[in-house]
Amino acid sequence: MSTSDWESLKAWLVSLDAIAEETQKPEDVRRLDLSGKALESLPETFGMLTQLAVLNLAHNALSSLPDSMRACEMLSNLDLRRNQFEALPAVIAGLSLRSLNVSGNQLKNADALRECDTIRVLDLSSNALVTLSGAFAQDNELRTLNVSCNYLSDLDSVFESLANAERLNISGNALKALGASVGSLEALEALEAGENQIAVIDEAFFSLEVETIDLSSNQLRHLTLQGLESLEELMLDNNPFETLEIAEDFAPYLREFSCDGCGLKQFLLPPSRFLEVLCYSSNAIEEVPEAIARYEKLRELDLEDNAVRELPDALANLLLLQTLYVEGNPLSDKAKKIIEIKHPEICDLTMKRGIVIDEAKAEDLEQMASLLEFLFAIESDFTFDYKKQLNGITRLFEYEGSDLLVARDGDNVVGMVTMQRLVSSAAGDFIGQIEDLVVMETYRKSGIGSRLINKIRFIAQEKGYKRIQLAADINNDYALQFYTRRGFSRTHLAIFHFKNA
Amino acid sequence: MATQEEILEMEICECGEKSVAQAIEIFQNTALPFKKAKKLVTECNKTCCRAALIKLFDMNQFGQFDYDEIEALIEKRIERMRRMAEGDS
Repeated sequence: MSTSDWESLKAWLVSLDAIAEETQKPEDVRRLDLSGKALESLPETFGMLTQLAVLNLAHNALSSLPDSMRACEMLSNLDLRRNQFEALPAVIAGLSLRSLNVSGNQLKNADALRECDTIRVLDLSSNALVTLSGAFAQDNELRTLNVSCNYLSDLDSVFESLANAERLNISGNALKALGASVGSLEALEALEAGENQIAVIDEAFFSLEVETIDLSSNQLRHLTLQGLESLEELMLDNNPFETLEIAEDFAPYLREFSCDGCGLKQFLLPPSRFLEVLCYSSNAIEEVPEAIARYEKLRELDLEDNAVRELPDALANLLLLQTLYVEGNPLSDKAKKIIEIKHPEICDLTMKRGIVIDEAKAEDLEQMASLLEFLFAIESDFTFDYKKQLNGITRLFEYEGSDLLVARDGDNVVGMVTMQRLVSSAAGDFIGQIEDLVVMETYRKSGIGSRLINKIRFIAQEKGYKRIQLAADINNDYALQFYTRRGFSRTHLAIFHFKNA
Repeated sequence: MATQEEILEMEICECGEKSVAQAIEIFQNTALPFKKAKKLVTECNKTCCRAALIKLFDMNQFGQFDYDEIEALIEKRIERMRRMAEGDS
């Protein structure tokens, strides 16, 4: 291809903000993000980008790729999510892709995959696939495969070609059985098979070395859980069980077992001593056995919406049990007393309800200023001064570029957060500065802080702020973890003060 | 492609008859984990709208809503129900 071809391709890429004006030659382009550009096609000269390794074409209107892309031999990561492909473009057969995402297209066949034996991560979810029979080469390198939300009714022959697969998502299809070929999944670690119509599971399934299994929302009526020596998590929610039995050799290291909405009349006791989470909500269980004491590592127990009247005394002795859901049971006073003694951190019976997250009103300002005392008590840079804080909160309330939210329990303000608009030269636009996130001590650990921060982020998105930022006391470990867990990342900047007299 | 306002008015859950906007409101007003929060929207144990709801729940947790993604998931559910009803699977 000629220099003028490069000049026109470059001009096109620059016009889409995909490369810098300074880019000298096609070989300099290694990564391209062309997502969300309403593209209906790519220029035929695209194959000039022979050093391209990562290409994001998600959220466009593409239905084909140019043949010239065969020359993109370095391309290893291709994202074609949410386009209009009805078949996998033949050109991918000649590439050495490691990762391919074609989720959310209209694929009716995936035959081109047979030639793609280098792919390790493949996402074909949310398409219109009816079969994958013969789609994969026998000696493929697939490690992660997602074919959820298609119309697949039989994967028996597919399992036989997935000997290397470690993570497999086949949920949301029309599968009626997991046949003997499931035993071919020798490397499998995680299986998501929920929301199918699976009624039959072959014996071979119970020999797998899998660690997590989701079989929820299927049509399982009779099942004996056995083997599965490496299993740590099992989800069986919303199956219409008539018989569900557990053999003594079942999953000795099981940590999480969920069987919500399965019509269970009995509280099942998996043999694992390592159980941490046990969920039996929306069943017809009447009795919780004393033997629950064997689960010394249990930290969450969900018995919501059953027919339990009594709770065993042993429950109070489960030291790690900190989350308990028991609403919707005809609990006796004795059972309620046991919960009171146990006093779990999270319990739906004692959870504070009716707390509303709302925009602050003028009459809230005095309570908000008082709340800051809780915050300043842990922030060593500040000393609480009610008059100053009331003045500050009032000025913020009156400032048109600010948002003040409160958590209200009746007439009481029990939490608050503020955000003010700033201009960032780095972001080239408005950003939001978050301050004063505080929740009254007696209302902590009930999710109010999360609700305040979620709502303020929602407002920031609605207002088009490019970024939100905040400062937290470096000695406040709880706050640092709180923000990190909610997707905030720490910067390398430190905050300096210079006080005017 | 629908506007943001149109997507907010779309029905995300048939059982609970909730719109996208109502589901967001419910998720913003609860601290419960997804499994419990979902029931507040659906008022049932079924999982037909799970894909869109779990995405919306995650978006709420991270404060960034991709309304086009939600629209695509709702349309996918409707198409799936149509095809399943027609026995086209």
